[in-house]
Amino acid sequence: MTVPGLVALRGNVRALALSALFLTSAQPLPAQLISIKTVPIAQGDQFDIFPSQHQGMGAVSIALADTLLDPFRNPARGALLDAPRFFGSPTFYGVSNQTGGGRTLPLAAFSQHGAWYGGLSLALQEVEPSRVATSSVAPPPVPFAEPRPGVLPLNPGPASQPPQTHGNAYVFALLGKTLAGPRLSLAASFSWARLNAVDGVDLLYPGSLGIDQFGHAVDVRLGLLKQWPGDRSLDAVVLHNRFGMSQDVTYADLFWDPGTQRVLQRARLDRELDRTDTWGLHLQYERPLVSGWRIGWIATGNLMSHPKIPNYEIMSIPRDPGHSHAYQVGIGVARTNGPATFGLDAVYEPIWSETYAAAAAPTETAAGDTIPLGGKTIENRFRFSNALFRMGVGRELTFGGRPHAAAWQLGLAAHAIHYRLLQQDHIQNGSRGQENWWVEWTPTWGLTLRFPELELRYSGRVTTGTGRPGVQNGIIALADPAAVRAGGLLVAPNGPLTLQGVSVVTHQVSLSLPLR
Amino acid sequence: MPRIVKTICFGLLAIGAACDRSDTFAEPSLDTELRQDVARWGVVPIGPVPAQDPALVELGRALMFDPVLSGNRDVACATCHHPATHAGDGLSLAIGTGGSGLGPGRTLGPGRQFVPRNAPSLLNDGLGLFYLFWDGRLSNFLVGPPPPPAGAGVPPGGSGLLAAQAMLPVVNRREMRGEPGDRDVFGAPNELAQFADSDSTAIRQAVLQRLLAIPEYVAKFAAAFPGTSASQLRFEHAATALAAFQAQAFTKTNSPFDRYLSHDEAALTTQQKRGGRLFFGKAQCSTCHNGPLLGANGFANAGVPQLGPGSPDTPPLDRGRADLPEQQFYEFAFRVAPLRNVELTAPYMHDGAFPTLEAVVRHYNDVPLALQTYDPSQLGPALRATYHGDPATIDSVIRTLDFRLRTPLHLTDAEMGDLVAFLKSLTDPSARDLSALVPAAVPSGLPVPR
Repeated sequence: MTVPGLVALRGNVRALALSALFLTSAQPLPAQLISIKTVPIAQGDQFDIFPSQHQGMGAVSIALADTLLDPFRNPARGALLDAPRFFGSPTFYGVSNQTGGGRTLPLAAFSQHGAWYGGLSLALQEVEPSRVATSSVAPPPVPFAEPRPGVLPLNPGPASQPPQTHGNAYVFALLGKTLAGPRLSLAASFSWARLNAVDGVDLLYPGSLGIDQFGHAVDVRLGLLKQWPGDRSLDAVVLHNRFGMSQDVTYADLFWDPGTQRVLQRARLDRELDRTDTWGLHLQYERPLVSGWRIGWIATGNLMSHPKIPNYEIMSIPRDPGHSHAYQVGIGVARTNGPATFGLDAVYEPIWSETYAAAAAPTETAAGDTIPLGGKTIENRFRFSNALFRMGVGRELTFGGRPHAAAWQLGLAAHAIHYRLLQQDHIQNGSRGQENWWVEWTPTWGLTLRFPELELRYSGRVTTGTGRPGVQNGIIALADPAAVRAGGLLVAPNGPLTLQGVSVVTHQVSLSLPLR
Repeated sequence: MPRIVKTICFGLLAIGAACDRSDTFAEPSLDTELRQDVARWGVVPIGPVPAQDPALVELGRALMFDPVLSGNRDVACATCHHPATHAGDGLSLAIGTGGSGLGPGRTLGPGRQFVPRNAPSLLNDGLGLFYLFWDGRLSNFLVGPPPPPAGAGVPPGGSGLLAAQAMLPVVNRREMRGEPGDRDVFGAPNELAQFADSDSTAIRQAVLQRLLAIPEYVAKFAAAFPGTSASQLRFEHAATALAAFQAQAFTKTNSPFDRYLSHDEAALTTQQKRGGRLFFGKAQCSTCHNGPLLGANGFANAGVPQLGPGSPDTPPLDRGRADLPEQQFYEFAFRVAPLRNVELTAPYMHDGAFPTLEAVVRHYNDVPLALQTYDPSQLGPALRATYHGDPATIDSVIRTLDFRLRTPLHLTDAEMGDLVAFLKSLTDPSARDLSALVPAAVPSGLPVPR
């Protein structure tokens, strides 16, 4: 399968030209945070770490309640936990061709006391580097007009930093109260992540010697769950998310040293800042239909501001602020028929995003005008029209005369991304359009074993239709510095991008047992 | 339920298939492509030039502007490499001793001839060029500069070759030494002109004796070379001081292009970036003008019209590097000039055949045609008659034309404009006005060229 929006090259390597790359999906607690991608970059499942009942069913969620995962999305859903429970969900993901991977161990406990309920989760994560080490920067080819007897060797420059794994830590806390009379639950959650590695970011600086990432993500949510007789419910979540990363990128710059008359190397450290603030509102309503069918609707809105966008190696524009507003409207149906469960979600995802480049100095335009300091020189206007489909089936199994002793799940998710970009160059007084689309496919599977004392779940998924930039035979393609960035935000590579198709495989084993 | 599942699966696959088609793509940005070009051709920023000894620089400055170094005491190094004309002379072919005036208005003296080649600007010669002189007779490769004098405080950096260069004009009759029988500006016999051409050591020593007869120079030499007695001094010491001054005063590497190389993407205008793409691409300039210095690392027969008196060995033609021993391969080939500050160093090429950058670019757009249709009216009146536009000469030049220049480039007028804009981005603004370098007076008391 070719990746749409990519031009096929030899083998599984593809080249892509873009004017702007935009990725906002790599954030902890992604539920109700809408991701924005403008290239089919594989992003590891770094932040999908919490247990889920329906992960194996394509992660359907609109019409099917997920008592494991829902409290992390809407803290008020913690009220639906029937008893104090402990969860552990070791999660492993890997990107094919040895281009990344990670391991996470989340531990969580939820409890109730009267009308109050709460939960606490801690997680430690180790993220592998996405690229192999380069021993040094190779000298650029210098095609001199004739053989030069005195071609001087490059001096050894600053040594590259060997890629290392880095650790992240996550804390999640939830506190809520159920008002029994109106069957209303109110809760708040707070999560904080100390991040030293966002998967794939190192691929976005292909010519660098090393990248040191550090930052944090904060997510605050207020949730409401209203239940009515007849098993109808309404969820409402207000959230605020702040994502801030710093990337200290070390380069070895070549320069001509008049003193020694040689090309030497010197280290240069660039600090790039990656900031996005998001306000979000999420509404979800579900109710039963006839014959075991249920139906649900969601509406989600995100307002994002991007105070600072990293100047990725591949990027020339835009590096300056921008903002986005993203929405999801979806419908889901589900049916439970005896031991079998079926679910289907269909979500439409319109997104508008604007980013721009600001003039670093008064800039003369082709028309003779002058753009003042800080004025917009380039504007990018994205208009996304995405679709997300999830479906899955599951069936309970009977073992040893015990019903519900086991269950299997199968599912499929497809995320179709389509956008148009209008780019306006205020210096040249020109504009141009661009259109791109592709589909990411994610088959899922799962197996559940239930014992009287505990519940053990395994789920797996593999996402295809995406790629990793500039990786050929395990070597970063330095010849093509126009690569990408992943994980966090906006990029404007605007150069030919080489992508190699990869798959992201995630395995999760979750353990759930009652505390008493 | 299975039917529903199957239907939905097919639906998803159909959606995916519908999306699985080719697309329109934007062109990569100018910056992305230009940076790729720059890396591909080995163009890197210039590092800091090593600091020079102030006493050495001060001595070199005095020598640079002092006509006492010339046999007739009428021309200084600065006469042909003057700050007012950006360390060149603004002439197509240089005018040495016996001439009058300065810069483009300088005229030949009675009975004198043009120097066969253009006086190249000294801007950035201290960066460690691989070759000096139009035929590259001085090189860090193969031949190498003469060893520094014992005890001389050789200036740091790439000034060794510059010092070697400074030793040559004083022995050249047409440039500085003068002809037998010449009398200097005071009417006294020109003693330097009496030496045989082969006795360059004696000539230089005689120049040094002139200098050491001036107390102010004795003091300056003592300050520049402490521990070296006057009797130990040689002309190489003077050349070393000249090199130190030139390296410090004429190094100008803060052009917009240099700032662009140092990651300031706003340093170049869009037109300059377009021109850069042409420079490294369609126009093929970088096939010769590459590396850290954008040239100065090779030789090419660029099909330049022949004019002037020609080289002493093969008058009236100038066969360029081919006149050097064992370099016959380089027929009509001259050094590929380094291009930083090229905007300021007109006229261009080894004989100044082109007065503007625009004319140079038009020449390269179709070299064979341009050579055959060269209009000598663009030369100064005194030079027009020296143009060798006969078919035999033109055929000789075209026959050995660099293979990269044999096919027309087909650049449009707009593209040539972009290319010129890029070339102008190589100008360090501080190189535009170098007048502060001119001293008020020199130790000999002779008139400072200004």
